[in-house]
Amino acid sequence: MDAKSRILSRIRHALKERPKALLPEHPHPAFSQDPLELFLKRLAENGAEGHLVDKEGARKLLADLAQGLSGAAYGKGVPDALRLLPELPPEEAPLGVSRALFAVAETGTVALSSEDGRKAQLLPPVHLVLVEEERLYPSLLEAFLDLKSLPSAIGLHSGPSKSADIGQVMVKGVHGPGRLVVAVLQGTW
Amino acid sequence: MQVKAKLYPKEAARLLREHPGVREAVTGATLHFEEGRKRAYQEIDAEAWRERARRVKDHLLTHLDHYLELAEKRLQEKGVRVHWAEGPEEAHRILREIVARHGVKRVVKAKSMLTEELGVNPLLESLGVEVYETDLGEYLIQLLGEPPSHIVGPAIHLALPDIQRLFHQRFGTPVDASPEALAAVARKVLREAFLTADLGISGANFLVAETGTLALMENEGNIRLSTSLPRVHVAFVGIEKLLPRFADLALFLPLTARAATGQRLSTYVSLIQGPAKEGEEGPKEVHVVLVDHGRTTLLHDSEAWEVLRCLRCGACLNACPVYRQTGGHPYGYVYSGPIGAVLDPGLLGLEDTYPLPYASTLCGACYEACPVKIPIPKLLLTWRQRAVERGLAPTWEKGAMQAFSKVMQSPSLYRLFSKALRGLPLPQDLLPLLKAWTEGRGPLRPSPKPFHELWQELKE
Repeated sequence: MDAKSRILSRIRHALKERPKALLPEHPHPAFSQDPLELFLKRLAENGAEGHLVDKEGARKLLADLAQGLSGAAYGKGVPDALRLLPELPPEEAPLGVSRALFAVAETGTVALSSEDGRKAQLLPPVHLVLVEEERLYPSLLEAFLDLKSLPSAIGLHSGPSKSADIGQVMVKGVHGPGRLVVAVLQGTW
Repeated sequence: MQVKAKLYPKEAARLLREHPGVREAVTGATLHFEEGRKRAYQEIDAEAWRERARRVKDHLLTHLDHYLELAEKRLQEKGVRVHWAEGPEEAHRILREIVARHGVKRVVKAKSMLTEELGVNPLLESLGVEVYETDLGEYLIQLLGEPPSHIVGPAIHLALPDIQRLFHQRFGTPVDASPEALAAVARKVLREAFLTADLGISGANFLVAETGTLALMENEGNIRLSTSLPRVHVAFVGIEKLLPRFADLALFLPLTARAATGQRLSTYVSLIQGPAKEGEEGPKEVHVVLVDHGRTTLLHDSEAWEVLRCLRCGACLNACPVYRQTGGHPYGYVYSGPIGAVLDPGLLGLEDTYPLPYASTLCGACYEACPVKIPIPKLLLTWRQRAVERGLAPTWEKGAMQAFSKVMQSPSLYRLFSKALRGLPLPQDLLPLLKAWTEGRGPLRPSPKPFHELWQELKE
């Protein structure tokens, strides 16, 4: 017998007399707060920056962030109109720009797909994430129940990279970006 | 990993004697974690969340064979290679083959308690592979050659000056370098490792059977990098880590974060479905190794099986007044604190671990903190009882308990002893060792007459 059959047969033997427990239903999401307001509040609490912008505002936000920078790394979904800086490899870029799959208000989270890329989300010290307001879910549960297909990897990012492993002092930007900026777009890009 | 749990009382005493700074560092860190957890629990209907989580895990565990086969199927459908390992030997064989096939020279590793159980690092080193632990805390203890002393904060026993000294010796940083400067040095070394490693190794917080999703939680970004940059990713997953449905993550991710670090969600969550598709960044090959290593033995145990619900959040360690004195090292195995005291005997057998269930005051704080309501205090008693039955308990305890039982069962002996005890000098006069207790408290004065005498008088 191989390891799999041995393990499974031990499990079946162990469970022979054990009463089966029922699987509870998911709870009904009950959300009264305005998700947009909550999302921006949560981002701030997580140490990230959230901006509500229109198409022009997004360009301005990017122009402000781009000041003095030589280039940026872009996710595949970033619209051409917002590629203001020359493209650099993520290993060298001082700024990464991604487009989120969705966002979650209750935790202040942006969800990033491997289809958009991975390195631009992780390697540059500053990360700008674009997300449409209509892709904002009030809760994690609603977002997860609504996901139709799963890319090879999703990264849920809820703030800048941080660690308190050195003497319990909070340090930002340990491995991932030390600064996370989220632009929530009203309307289309 | 070598098991030294039998030495717990001696090692705990030695640590307190020889490294008095550890108590302060661990107490400070755990109280901080504990405060965060309490705040995070207060924000939600914690009882309802914990009860729901308990029920989902109980369902999972009582249908474990079904969900394991489902998970394997889903993973394979997405191109993940699934392996099964009963213990370190098989796990090592699987990893050796992957290392040889890909000519792996350098590994970046995300923090994983299971890989500590399996001794993955010593194996890789014996194969001449360079291993980088990439969680900052894990990296520190790797440099020191120490095992982790806490499930979530492996280096919480180290104070800032310890780390300043270490980095001064290793990297020539100033002896008073700031935490930011020290982190920047580690970032630089590890960034280079991420970009050049052939293989990324991780554990998993959860494996969703329905979708074959590996879920990993962290705050630094090192797990995302370890599972994104190298061309091969191997995840070691304990068979109890499964969840039935993808949407169960909407409960378990935030609940674990609240319990572990007081966060609403950890800064980064990786949800991994499989290798990168054509033209995508990410590993070309993903392996999942499903590991038993004592878990089926625990499942068979009609009382102790409930510890398999454990999410490895470390909340019970932070809540424990005993763990707080020493951190995890004296416990002598990967899992320390209250959960270690009930998990280690189940995974390794009581013969090698019997002192651990005694490392508790039975105050119950661990149960209050546990996000999946593991009845740790009850199980501590279960293991103690078994230790007594198997003749493993300290002999003085047996004698004391037998004497106590004799006295309690005989009215005349009881009266004799209660009279004698009332006549003895009070402990605060006797024992300067109890100063920490007696300071700030009034003296305990026994009533001049015991209750049975007062009762007698009342009746007359």
